[in-house]
Amino acid sequence: MNNLLIVGQYVPTNSIVHRMDPRVKMLIIFFYVIFIFFANNVISYGLFTLFALGSTILTKVPRRFIAKGLTPVWFLIVFTFILHLFVTREGFVLFHVFGLPIYSGALEQGAVISLRFFLLILLTSLLTLTTTPIEITDAVESLLGPLRRFKFPVHELALMMSISLRFIPTLLQETEKISNAQASRGVDFRTGPFRERVRAVIPLLVPLFVSAFKRAEELAMAMEARGYRGGEGRTKLRELRVVKRDVAALVCFIVITAAALITRDYS
Amino acid sequence: MQSRSKVLFLVEVAIFAALAVVLDLFSFKAWAQGGSISLQMVPIFLMAFRWGWKGGLLTGLVVGLLQLVTGPYIIHVVQGFLDYPAAFTLVGLAAVTSGLAQKAAKQNNRFKLALLLIVGTLIGSLGRFAAHFVGGMVFFGSAAAPGQSVWIYSLIYNGSYLLPSFIASIAVIIILVFAQPKLILPKH
Repeated sequence: MNNLLIVGQYVPTNSIVHRMDPRVKMLIIFFYVIFIFFANNVISYGLFTLFALGSTILTKVPRRFIAKGLTPVWFLIVFTFILHLFVTREGFVLFHVFGLPIYSGALEQGAVISLRFFLLILLTSLLTLTTTPIEITDAVESLLGPLRRFKFPVHELALMMSISLRFIPTLLQETEKISNAQASRGVDFRTGPFRERVRAVIPLLVPLFVSAFKRAEELAMAMEARGYRGGEGRTKLRELRVVKRDVAALVCFIVITAAALITRDYS
Repeated sequence: MQSRSKVLFLVEVAIFAALAVVLDLFSFKAWAQGGSISLQMVPIFLMAFRWGWKGGLLTGLVVGLLQLVTGPYIIHVVQGFLDYPAAFTLVGLAAVTSGLAQKAAKQNNRFKLALLLIVGTLIGSLGRFAAHFVGGMVFFGSAAAPGQSVWIYSLIYNGSYLLPSFIASIAVIIILVFAQPKLILPKH
C-alpha cells in the first residue's frame, strides 16, 4: 500500500545510504557532478569510479533496479563510444575495422567519456533510488532556505511539491477510472489517426480537470479551516538532522575529491 | 478574501502540476505506438491562461522540480538546470496572452480566443524548446567528439518530440476551452 503512494524510482532497503540526511546526499552529488569534470588521468578517474561504485554497493539496491534506471542511457553510452572510435584522430593507428583506422587516442577518449557518462547517471540515479521524493522536497526547502531573504517563496514551493506528490497517485487512479468509463462508452484512445486520438482525449480531460478544480477547492477550504496561513512559524512532522554517518560520508567524499584533484594532471 | 484566493491558488497550482505528471505517464501508455506525444504541457498552459504569469511560471516550475525529484537524467549542472526547472518554467510564458484570452472568452469571441490560445501555447512551447535545445547542446556536447555539430543533434532530438506535443497540446487546449470557457476564468 505504501508503495502505491510513492512515485518515481525509490527502492526501500533501509541501507545506510537510505538513512542519510537527504541534504547531505544532494550536496555530495551536486559537487560530484561538478568535480568529475576535473578528472583527467587514470588515478583521478579511478578515485571517482571508486566513490560511485562504493556508494552503489552501500545502497544495497538490487542490481536490476539500478540497471533499469540506466536502460535509456545505455544506448547513448555505447553510441558515444563508437562515435569516438571512428571520428577522433589522435595518437597512433592501433588497428583497422572495415578498412577504417582506429587511433589509440580515440579508444582512450571514447572510453573516458563513456565512463564519465556512466558514473554521472549512476550517481544521480542513486539519489532517487534511495530517497523518497518527499524527502528530496524537504531537503530542497532546507537548502534553498537562504533564498527566503530575497522574497523567493521557498516554503510555498515546498508545500506545492508535497501536495503534488501526494496527489499524483490519486489523480493517476482517477485518470484510469475516467478512461475506463469512457472506453466502456466506446471512446477509443489507442487506434485511429492523430486527429481522432486527440479528439478522444477530450472526454477524458474535461471531467479530469473539472474534478481537479473541485479537489483543489476542497483542499484549500480544509487547509483554511485548520488555520493554515503561510510558512511563518510552521512546525514540521519530519525534521531533518545531520548525524555522524552524514559527517562520515561527507568527509569520505571530500577526501576522495581532494585526492583526485591532487593526482590529476596539471601539465 | 485575499488569503482565501491565495491558498486556493497554491493548491490549484500544486494539483495541476500533479496532473501534468499524470498526463505524461498516461499519454505514454495510451499512445505508445504513436511516439512520445505527451499532453504534459496542457495543465501548465491552462494554469497560465487562468492565473496569468504567476500561475503559468509557478506551475511549470513545480512540474520541472517534480521531474527532478522522481528520476532525472543529469550529466552536467547546467544541463540539469536547463532541462528540468528552466524548461518547464518557460512553458508558463504562455501567460503572455492570458489577460486578452480571458477577455475574449468572456465576450465569446471565438476567433480571437483561438488565436490568442495558439499564440500563447506557441510562445510557451518555444520557451521550453529553447531551454531543452541549449540543455541538449550541453548534454551531447559532453559526449560528442570535438568538431561535431552538437546543435543539429539537439535540434533533431528535441524537435522530434516537442513539435508533435505542441500540435497535440494546441488542439486539446482549443477544444477544451471552447467546450468549457470557465476553465480559464479564475473564480475570484
